Amino acid sequence: MRAREIHAGLQLLDRQVVRVGTGGLVCKVDDLELQGDPPYVSAILAGPLALGPRVGGLPGWLMVQVTRLFRPEEDPQPRRIPMHLVNEIGSAVVVGGEPAEPALERWLRENVIARIPGSGGEGPPYAEPEHATGHAPRISALLGRRVTDAEGTVVGKVADVRLCQDGPLLHGVQNAFRIAGLVVVPERTGKLFGYERGPGGQAPWLVRAVITRWFSGSALVGWDQVDASSARFETPEVRLTVPARDLAPLTDLYEREPRG
Amino acid sequence: MKRLFAVTLGILTAFGGFVDIGDLVANGLVGARFGMSLAWTVVVGVIGICLFAEMSGRIAAVSGRPVFDLVRERLGPKAGLVNLAASLFVNLLTLAAEIGGASLALELATGVNYLLWVPAVAFVAWLVMWRVKFETMERVFGLAGLALVVFVVALWQLGPDWGELGRQLTSPPQDEGAPTYWYYAIALLGGAMTPYEVFFFSSGGVEEKWRPRDLVTARANVFVGFPLGGLMSISIAACAATVFLPFDAQVDALGEIVLPVGLGLGQIGMALVIFGVFAATFGATLETALSSGYTLSQYFGWQWGKFVRPRSAARFHAVLLVAVVLATALILTTIDPIMVTEYSLVFSAAALPLTYFPVLLIANDPDYMGDRVNGRFTNALGTFYMILLSLITVAALPLMIATKAGQ
Repeated sequence: MRAREIHAGLQLLDRQVVRVGTGGLVCKVDDLELQGDPPYVSAILAGPLALGPRVGGLPGWLMVQVTRLFRPEEDPQPRRIPMHLVNEIGSAVVVGGEPAEPALERWLRENVIARIPGSGGEGPPYAEPEHATGHAPRISALLGRRVTDAEGTVVGKVADVRLCQDGPLLHGVQNAFRIAGLVVVPERTGKLFGYERGPGGQAPWLVRAVITRWFSGSALVGWDQVDASSARFETPEVRLTVPARDLAPLTDLYEREPRG
Repeated sequence: MKRLFAVTLGILTAFGGFVDIGDLVANGLVGARFGMSLAWTVVVGVIGICLFAEMSGRIAAVSGRPVFDLVRERLGPKAGLVNLAASLFVNLLTLAAEIGGASLALELATGVNYLLWVPAVAFVAWLVMWRVKFETMERVFGLAGLALVVFVVALWQLGPDWGELGRQLTSPPQDEGAPTYWYYAIALLGGAMTPYEVFFFSSGGVEEKWRPRDLVTARANVFVGFPLGGLMSISIAACAATVFLPFDAQVDALGEIVLPVGLGLGQIGMALVIFGVFAATFGATLETALSSGYTLSQYFGWQWGKFVRPRSAARFHAVLLVAVVLATALILTTIDPIMVTEYSLVFSAAALPLTYFPVLLIANDPDYMGDRVNGRFTNALGTFYMILLSLITVAALPLMIATKAGQ
């Protein structure tokens, strides 16, 4: 059996995290924490401290600063849900364990909602959320980064990160998603909206035609084609070890992922 | 038998819940000024809302994901945040307008100034959202809104010159400029296709735990209930066209919009129409307030919904509370509720593509939908509407400025 391949931006980031069994809504996948070399996804990061930097600009800055104001720690980090708790990745990300409650929810419940008559039974028991420690790289650091090839010419920017589930074994339950490659698109473009995946999701015709044309010149980069120092997030741009002409075209995804 | 009953009940609920303050005001106003010459936009709007409500309902039933989940997932956090800000702004205006509308209906019934009714309406609306079960809430106000059928009966009683109404369909009045005509076309479309309707419809699907087998019910609601609601909208315009157009009378108060029913059916008609207006606007107050909570919670991934106790969805209920308070404060500034409605219609029309584009994309994504992706016909129609809605986005605000908001 071939290991499962997914696109981090398209199929994991910004999806709803729900709890196994009860279906309770936990959070969004606001970012992904990376570990190891070659890097693999070690945890889901959630909350304003993960979302803010991705939103950027004034709103993103505000999200981060306001949250920092209310957190007691010196250098607060976002909430973290380790990847070994993930049961299923589909239209939602289903996690096991006892996901902790964010502080805002608890504060509003204790000070506002629970004081109004008829708010219902006891809320869930409080558990201290697990926070990330230190500054592990995040997958959003790769997204949007400029890509240059072995000769120094600009190839484009990173639109998405391909993950392959054949990384190290996590807690003896499942293999981690290892970074397998990058989807690189021309610099002056935006989101691919999932139209890079070939036969699946190819309609409506007009949208596909516009996007295909706009993104002509996009390429697939294998992680083995990425320069070792950029692969460790040490350089401001992603440097490749091969010239741009050796890269596979994006249309290769069509043949690799047949429908069904 | 039970199934048939459920389907019928659903259709009636969708029918009665279709009309809100936006439809009432836009159709009354347009009928009085332009006769039936803009009736076609209601048809375009109803087809559009059917199309996108069906898609979002299907997505909710198959994948369990409501519309704003899709917005953030497909547009990303930045564009999603822009959409969130725009939707919340429009939603708040609409919520204020609905509270105002319900209070105006109470003023018509009692003679007590509507401003005194505003806090009471807002409080009761909040209480209903706090305590009443989702299904009961939707049913009661949807069915009560059916009282607005009196517009159809009144039109028939007024005995208009049907030939004249038919002639108006294709010929706008000469004394109105083209920009004003198109401005009101956009307002009518905004009334029929308001984004909160799909936020509410799809989140409601999740609240009621729809599964793929419930698709029959969902489709019946959309394809039968909504067009019937559209017919009701057109009859409001036709009533106004019959009574006001011959005298060139301007309509700018709720009392004038319901007046034709009084002329056609007397006091009983008047009582019914006021009851209907109250039920429709009060029901829509709940829908818009809940939609604010749905959009914000679904963007940030918070627990939302009335299917859990308020204590388990503290942030969601706090948003509802704040939204109701803000909208009440806005109406209490004595700003004209009818004017707020007009503005909210045009702003909603401008914000439509932001919401409907991700719905169209996800309805085609086999990752979500399996083999229930859109067919060719739905896609052709969906593409046509995306182009139309993008044109409206570009045209809405310039037209608003050029016509001084339709004057």
